[in-house]
Amino acid sequence: MASEVLVRCEGVARTFGTGPGSVVAVHDVICELRAGQRVAVTGPSGSGKSTLLHLMAGLDTPTAGTLTWPALGGRERLRPGPVGIVFQGPSLLAPLDVAENVALPLLLAGEGEAQAVDAARRALDRLGLADLAARLPEELSGGQAQRVAVARVLAGRPRLVLADEPTGQLDHTVGTEVVRALVETAAALGAALMLTTHDPAVAALLPTRWAMADGALATGDREVPCSA
Amino acid sequence: MLGLTWLRGLLRRRSGRLVAAAAGVAVAVGLLASLGTFLAASKATMTRRSTGEVAVDWQVQAQPDGDPAALLAAVRAFRGVRTALPVGFAGTTGLEATVAGSTQTTGPGVVLGLPDGYRAAFPRALRDLVGAPTGALLAQQTAANLHARPGDTVGVGRAGLPPTAVRVDGVVDLPQADSLFQKVGASQGAQPQAPPDNVLLLPARRWHQLFDPLARARPDLVHAQVHARLDRRLPGDPAAAYTRVSGAARNLEAHLAGTGLVGDNLGAALAAARSDALYAQVLFVFLGLPGAILAGLLTAAVAGAGAQRRRREQALLRARGATTSQLVHLASIEAAAVGALGIVTGLGLALLASRVAFGSANFGATPLATLGWAAAAALAGLAVAGATVALPARRDAARITVTAARRSMDRPARPRWPAAGLGLALLAAAGTVFWLTGRNGYQLVLAPEGLPTISVSYWAFAGPALLWLGVGLLAWQLADAAIGTGRRALRRASQPLAGALAGTVAAAVGRQHRLLARALVLVALSLSFAISTAVFNATYQQQADVDARLTNGADVTVTQPPGADVGPAAAATLATVPGVRHVEPLQHRFAYVGADLQDLYGVRPATVVGATRLQDAYFAGGTARELIGALARQPDGVLVSAETVHDFQLTPGDTLTLRLQDGRTKRYRPVRFRYLGVAKEFPTAPRDSFLVANAGYVTQATGSDAVGAFLVDTGGTAPAAVADRIRARLGPQAAVSDLATTRHVVGSSLTAVDLAGLTRLELGFALVLAAAATGLVLALGLAERRRTFAIAAALGARPRQLAAFVWTEAAIVTAGGLAAGAVAGWVLSLMLVKVLTGVFDPPPAALAVPWAYLGTTLAVALASVAAAATLTVRASRTPPVTILRELA
Repeated sequence: MASEVLVRCEGVARTFGTGPGSVVAVHDVICELRAGQRVAVTGPSGSGKSTLLHLMAGLDTPTAGTLTWPALGGRERLRPGPVGIVFQGPSLLAPLDVAENVALPLLLAGEGEAQAVDAARRALDRLGLADLAARLPEELSGGQAQRVAVARVLAGRPRLVLADEPTGQLDHTVGTEVVRALVETAAALGAALMLTTHDPAVAALLPTRWAMADGALATGDREVPCSA
Repeated sequence: MLGLTWLRGLLRRRSGRLVAAAAGVAVAVGLLASLGTFLAASKATMTRRSTGEVAVDWQVQAQPDGDPAALLAAVRAFRGVRTALPVGFAGTTGLEATVAGSTQTTGPGVVLGLPDGYRAAFPRALRDLVGAPTGALLAQQTAANLHARPGDTVGVGRAGLPPTAVRVDGVVDLPQADSLFQKVGASQGAQPQAPPDNVLLLPARRWHQLFDPLARARPDLVHAQVHARLDRRLPGDPAAAYTRVSGAARNLEAHLAGTGLVGDNLGAALAAARSDALYAQVLFVFLGLPGAILAGLLTAAVAGAGAQRRRREQALLRARGATTSQLVHLASIEAAAVGALGIVTGLGLALLASRVAFGSANFGATPLATLGWAAAAALAGLAVAGATVALPARRDAARITVTAARRSMDRPARPRWPAAGLGLALLAAAGTVFWLTGRNGYQLVLAPEGLPTISVSYWAFAGPALLWLGVGLLAWQLADAAIGTGRRALRRASQPLAGALAGTVAAAVGRQHRLLARALVLVALSLSFAISTAVFNATYQQQADVDARLTNGADVTVTQPPGADVGPAAAATLATVPGVRHVEPLQHRFAYVGADLQDLYGVRPATVVGATRLQDAYFAGGTARELIGALARQPDGVLVSAETVHDFQLTPGDTLTLRLQDGRTKRYRPVRFRYLGVAKEFPTAPRDSFLVANAGYVTQATGSDAVGAFLVDTGGTAPAAVADRIRARLGPQAAVSDLATTRHVVGSSLTAVDLAGLTRLELGFALVLAAAATGLVLALGLAERRRTFAIAAALGARPRQLAAFVWTEAAIVTAGGLAAGAVAGWVLSLMLVKVLTGVFDPPPAALAVPWAYLGTTLAVALASVAAAATLTVRASRTPPVTILRELA
């Protein structure tokens, strides 16, 4: 049975700047992300992976083509809501402690404070991070901070998790832990997961691999629903 | 090479940070350099204004054994003397005049013999009132006593010789009678209390005819003086001018070897001016220096806004092997760039501000002083740049680890109550110093009489300085603790803006307690500076106005010539002049209190209080309304000076018999009054003793309702314009004076300097500081947190929700800063006005509050905050991925 389409790209392109100095980061991408999919987008630095992820997250708008979220609603309803994001670099808010950071998207979505705090604590518990609840972001290691970012996603119960180079600043061991946490989180939520990485070892942890090169998206052999 | 690369990078990527810090340095440099202009301008003006009013620079009195001709020659030949003329002084047993069949006789008096050319050489010594300007001239009061006018004949008594007679040619005023009739060589305490009541001035030839015989018979009654005018090319600094003039006077006395004593009128005027010059310096310290310090603090805050990023840069450099000395070198380069830009901008700002405020763009009275002030201001700017940029970087490089340098948040602190005690201790110390200063009557400038030295009691500065420090420290500690630990209160406060996010907002704000407390204190200190400066200046202007009003009497005053018989009905004519709202007739008579002749003012109790804006401070033992009301209820009542009360041991209700001149017989006769209270000041009254009585009773007792002066209220119309209209109506003979002109000439030379320039400068800078302390510091702090806001936006925060963080921070800093600043500003105002009492003439009964300026300051501060917050919220609409990409 075909699962519902969460994100659909039809000839999506993103160009930065104008004139001779413009940079085409992504061009002519056609693909769909369906519920439950686990996709790793690989490619060298500068290939357009992060740009594609940002477009799919609604953080950026394409300069050409059509980008829709059939099962998730319009762009304005993606965040906070059905889309959870894990960024490459430090993404915790410095003035808030771990628990407050994890609860933040829920509060932004309008949930009550008590429910948000409760959801945050459960998410931290699930990932074994309960001891870090009162720490400030600067007091965490890189791996801990990324796992907290994953907990933040988990607490929001998204339908689509987008992770942009989540292991980019971590060593292999810690990075693998983070990716496993992401996969488990997505599985627990029944959410689709798409992460970008330039590390083949990380990509190997996910069943579907797409490749990006020079702004063009190429699909992998397994589960190949897309072409460019 | 590394330094150049670093500097290029700073200019390309951190230009905002450099410019903001340089702006802070520029404000400090600009303020200090501008204040140098104030000091230079005021000192130069003081010398000129104080010496401009001196009629006779030196009065050299021939000693009994001396030869007047030789004395005259010696004075003329003395270095620096431009003009010297001989003047004779002779004592008369009395003057007598018979007018309209009635004979008036005075007591002993003085007859002066003035040589040809005296009026031209000393134009300010005499002021013509009526009649011819030369010939036999009667002093104003003498003419009033004798009821004599030009054309009348006055008998002149001579001890041991037959009396003689002269025909009066004119009546004059002697504006500087006190110095003209001084006891040359006597100390201040041995000087006569008042100049002689009866004075006749004769041409020298006539004087010699009449009094050379007296000089032979009674040499004790006749003496000669040489009146001298000096070369007025004096140093701009009154202290230096005083030293030169008084030194020359002593030198002349030594030269005369006992044949003459010098009455140094010019030196006396400069002695007062040097005190005023020092007060100008005092004002600079009290009012100006805090502004410069505040600018330095502001620069520190601006530089501190980028400290986190600077620390991270440092951490990166250290992780890549940079040594501490290399880090300090790079920080010094940044500090030098900030300092250089700030100094150039600041000096330019000072030139512009000085031209606008003082009409002059010199930083000093001389080229050397100009260079000195500019250099001092530049050094101060470098010091500020070094202290706010290089020093923190050096401290961080030496002490903080790489990982610690990357930390930015603080744990909420427990209340540091023991440390809060330091702020309280400083406030207590301020109160103690203030009380101790008050024990010597707040005498800041100490100028021992006769000594060339003059000094300032700098100890008094400690009071306001400690108050400022204590308030700042206490506010910082309390704000730091309240914001850091008052989570519940913060949550409640942010609820209206943040709604469900109130807890998160409170947590975020609470963890930035150090940053916010520092910003709050900066707002408080800026506001307190603006308030205290504005209130002090407004009070100063208020007292200058009171002084001018006391001297002139009203907006416009029409003074009747001596002997005029103009009744109160003439007020109706004046009331028809356009711009006149009310005319108050004021009787001016002379009354003998025992042997002492005093001015007596007859008032209409029902109208005089409102018409002349009588202040309660003018009286003792009751308010103005109470005491004047007593005159209405008791028509034979009289208000006298404290000195008269003491001399006659009066208690309220005592009978006091005065001798007043009868309007019909022109003879003095006793009139009984009842003592009601003390009048310390009264419009148009002299600073000596005087009397205030009920005009109706005086009219009834003397048979004359003659008015001495009409006090005109212009109701807001420019007094000078109304004065011109009145002159046009009454003719050129009318003695019409207006408040604006009087304000220009009256009072101490510092008053005459009119602190308007300093006021404009300081209030302008205070506005700039208030705007910078509120909006700029907030904006920079928020700009440093762009990444935080971008992440929140990426997580789905709406602009409204981001605005809750921004506006909550802004509200806490602004509300707390305004509240603390208002309280501190008020207390500082009270202290400044008290400590600087010597500047006011007369001292104020209450402070003047310039609500318009304070309202403007508040509006500027709020607008600055609103602009900073709005721009930040607007910037949050930038796609977060753009910001994250920039800041990655």
